[in-house]
Amino acid sequence: MSLIRQNNQKPIHSSDEHGVAANTDVNIELHTTSAQTIMEKLAVLTDAAKYDVACTSSGVDRKGNGRDMGNCVAAGICHSFSADGRCISLLKILMSNECIYDCKYCINRRSNDVPRATFTPDEICELTMNFYRRNYIEGLFLSSGIIHNPSYTMELLYQTLYKLRKVYRFQGYVHVKGIPGADPLLIQQTGYLTDRMSVNLELPTAEGLEKLAPNKHRKTILTPMRQLQNSIAQGKKELVQYRNAPAFVPAGQSTQMIIGATPESDYQIMSVAEGLYDKFGMKRVFYSAYVGVNEDKALPSVQTASPLLREHRLYQADWLLRFYQFRVEELLNETHQNFNVLLDPKCDWALQHLEQFPVEINRADYAMLLRVPGIGVKSAQRICKARKSGALDFEHLKKIGVVLKRALYFITCNGKMMYRTKLEEDYITRNLLAEHEKLPFDKDGVTYRQLSLFDDTQENAVLFGS
Amino acid sequence: MCTGIEYYVLICEDSMEGILTGVYEAYQIKKDKGIESHDSIRLAVKEPAMQCFFTQYEHIQTDHEKAAKVTDTIARQLGDETWYRISMAMVSDFEDKADAVYHTIVLGLKLHDKRITDRLQEDCVQRTFKCARASENELCHLKQFSRFSELQNGMLYAKINAKHHVLPFLMPHFADRLPADNFVIYDENTQTFGLHASYKKWYLMQGAAFDEDRIVYSEVEAVYQELFKRFCDSIAIESRINPKLQMNMLPLRFRPNMTEFQ
Repeated sequence: MSLIRQNNQKPIHSSDEHGVAANTDVNIELHTTSAQTIMEKLAVLTDAAKYDVACTSSGVDRKGNGRDMGNCVAAGICHSFSADGRCISLLKILMSNECIYDCKYCINRRSNDVPRATFTPDEICELTMNFYRRNYIEGLFLSSGIIHNPSYTMELLYQTLYKLRKVYRFQGYVHVKGIPGADPLLIQQTGYLTDRMSVNLELPTAEGLEKLAPNKHRKTILTPMRQLQNSIAQGKKELVQYRNAPAFVPAGQSTQMIIGATPESDYQIMSVAEGLYDKFGMKRVFYSAYVGVNEDKALPSVQTASPLLREHRLYQADWLLRFYQFRVEELLNETHQNFNVLLDPKCDWALQHLEQFPVEINRADYAMLLRVPGIGVKSAQRICKARKSGALDFEHLKKIGVVLKRALYFITCNGKMMYRTKLEEDYITRNLLAEHEKLPFDKDGVTYRQLSLFDDTQENAVLFGS
Repeated sequence: MCTGIEYYVLICEDSMEGILTGVYEAYQIKKDKGIESHDSIRLAVKEPAMQCFFTQYEHIQTDHEKAAKVTDTIARQLGDETWYRISMAMVSDFEDKADAVYHTIVLGLKLHDKRITDRLQEDCVQRTFKCARASENELCHLKQFSRFSELQNGMLYAKINAKHHVLPFLMPHFADRLPADNFVIYDENTQTFGLHASYKKWYLMQGAAFDEDRIVYSEVEAVYQELFKRFCDSIAIESRINPKLQMNMLPLRFRPNMTEFQ
C-alpha cells in the first residue's frame, strides 16, 4: 500500500543543521499560465466547499517553534467576514469536487452538471503557505468529494497534509475531513498531521440519511467518530506520561448536520447533539441551515428560504449545553418539541421556571447566575470575583456588563429589586417583547410558519401584524 | 499650611513611560508636600482645555529609571496579570487612562491585593478595565485584520491604523508566527514602525521619513491578492447575504488596509 512507502520516504527539502528554514527553499514561483488555472480551480473548489459551515481555527495553543512558519491561538482568529456575515478563518477548499456519490442535497452530486476541478497537493500547499504569510488565514480546511472510493480519497488527503507538515513545515492550523468508510489506518495516520478532524453526520437521523444520501450509512459515519474519540483520549493520556508524544487531533473532533432538509424537530436534533457531546467526546456540533441548491422530489422546494432563525436558535441552545450547564430535557421535551420563535431558549426556560427567581446577586452560586437572562458567562464570572470584596448593586452590575433591561425582572441586589415588577410569566414576556426583541433575521420570520412553531397564532398576529 | 490648593494635576507624556513616571512623581510630591490623600492628586496626559480653581498644574519630565522602578513594584506586588491589564490600559486612547491607572495602583498597593483588577465596584478599577478592554479588542482586531504584502526584496510589509497604540503587543504575535521573515508593520496613527529581521528580535522605530509611493511589490503579490479576493467572493452563500452582520463583525474603519476590500 502506498502509505507504507510514504512513511519511509525522507522529506525532500529538510532544514539543514544551521536552522535555515525549509520554506525558503520551496518557494516555487507560480508561472502565469498555471496561475490562471489556479484562479479558476480556486473559484470552483471554494464554491464547492462553502456549505460545510465548520470554520473555527480554535482549540489549540501552539507557539511557534522558532524556526518554521506558523503558530496557533486557542481562541481562534477570524481573519475576515464574508458577505453573508460568516467568519473566514481558514482556507476552506475541496481537494476535488469530483464525486462518485449522488447525495440529493449536495451541489457536487454525481448527477449534477457542474464544472469539476482537482488541486494538486503542491497547489494546496502553496496557497496555504502564501495566504498564511500574508495573514489572510489561520490555516487550511481540507475536504473532498469521493474519488474512486473512500480509502483512495483519504489517502490523497493524507499525502497533501504530509507534504504541508513535513516538506513545507507548516505549523499553523489544519482541519481535515475524515472520510467515512476509509481504512482506519489512514484515519489514524492523518490524525497525527492535523489539529482537528471532522466526520459529517449529514442528517440528524438514520432515516433522513437513507432518504437523502443513500450512499452513506449511519454506521459507516459513526465508526470513524468512535475511532477518533478513542484515539484522542489515548493521545491525551500518552501526553501526560510522555511529554514529547505526538499529538493526535489536539483540537478535538467536530461534526455537522443539515437543518431543514428533513422533518426532524428541534428536540430530536438537540438530543442527537447532546448524545454526540456526551458519548463521542465531540468538541463542536455545527448546524447548517439547508440551502436549496438542487431540484429533487425528496427535498423541500428550491423556493424555500433557509431556516436561518431556526439555525440561530439551535446555536443558542448549543451554547446553553456547552457553557451554561443546561441539559436538553430542560429546554425541550416530547410535548414541547420546538423552540420559541420570539424568545431565546434561555429566556424561555426562565419564564417557565419563575419559581426559581428572583436570584440574589450577592449570594447565588455561579450556576444559578448563569441562568438569569441578561447575564452571560463573562458577567457571571466578573460578578463572582467582584462580590468577594464588597456587595454589588445595580449601578455596579450595569458597568460589569449585565443587560439590566432583561435581568431586572429576575434578580435582587441586597434584597431589593430594581423596580417594582410582578414575577408573572405574561407580564414579563410582554415587557421583554416590548423592548423590541430584535430577531436578527427579519426576512425569515414568515417562512417559519411552515414548521408550525407558533404557540399562539392569534397573539403573534397581534404582535407582528399578520 | 493653608495654601488654598485643593488638587494637584500632574501632566505626563502620553506614553507608558510617561505615565509611570507620573505615578512615581505623584508619590514623591505627596511625600514632599505632606498631602494627606492620593485623592487630591490626578494624572493627565494632556493640558486640560480649561483650568480649574484651587488646582496646581505641573508638567512631569519622563524619566526611564523612575518608570522602571514603578514597573518593578507593580510586577512584584501586584502580579503579572495586573501588570498586563495596567499596560493595556496605558496604551489605550482614553483621556482619563493615566488617572485611572494611577489610582488603581494606589489602591492595589494599599490593599496588597493581587486581584485588584477584580474589584469592579471601585471607580478607578472600572475605568482601568474600560481602557484595557478597548485596547485588547483593538489588539484582537489587528491580529485578525492586518494584511501583509510581499515586496520585491522578499520582505513583508503591513500598514495598520490602530486606534489604541497596541503595536508593541502586536509585534510578538507575528514574530512568533513568522520567525524566518523580514517584516515591517507601519502604524499610520502614531507613525511608528515595528521591525523584525529574520531570526532576530523585533523592535520599534519612530521618526523615520517614509515615502509610500516608492514601495515596489513582488511579481506574485498581485496574483495572491487576486486569489484571496476571489476566495472571499466565492465563499459567500448568496441566499444568506447580510451586509449589516458583516459590518457588525468587521467594522468599516479596518477595511481600507484590507486586501479583499480594495
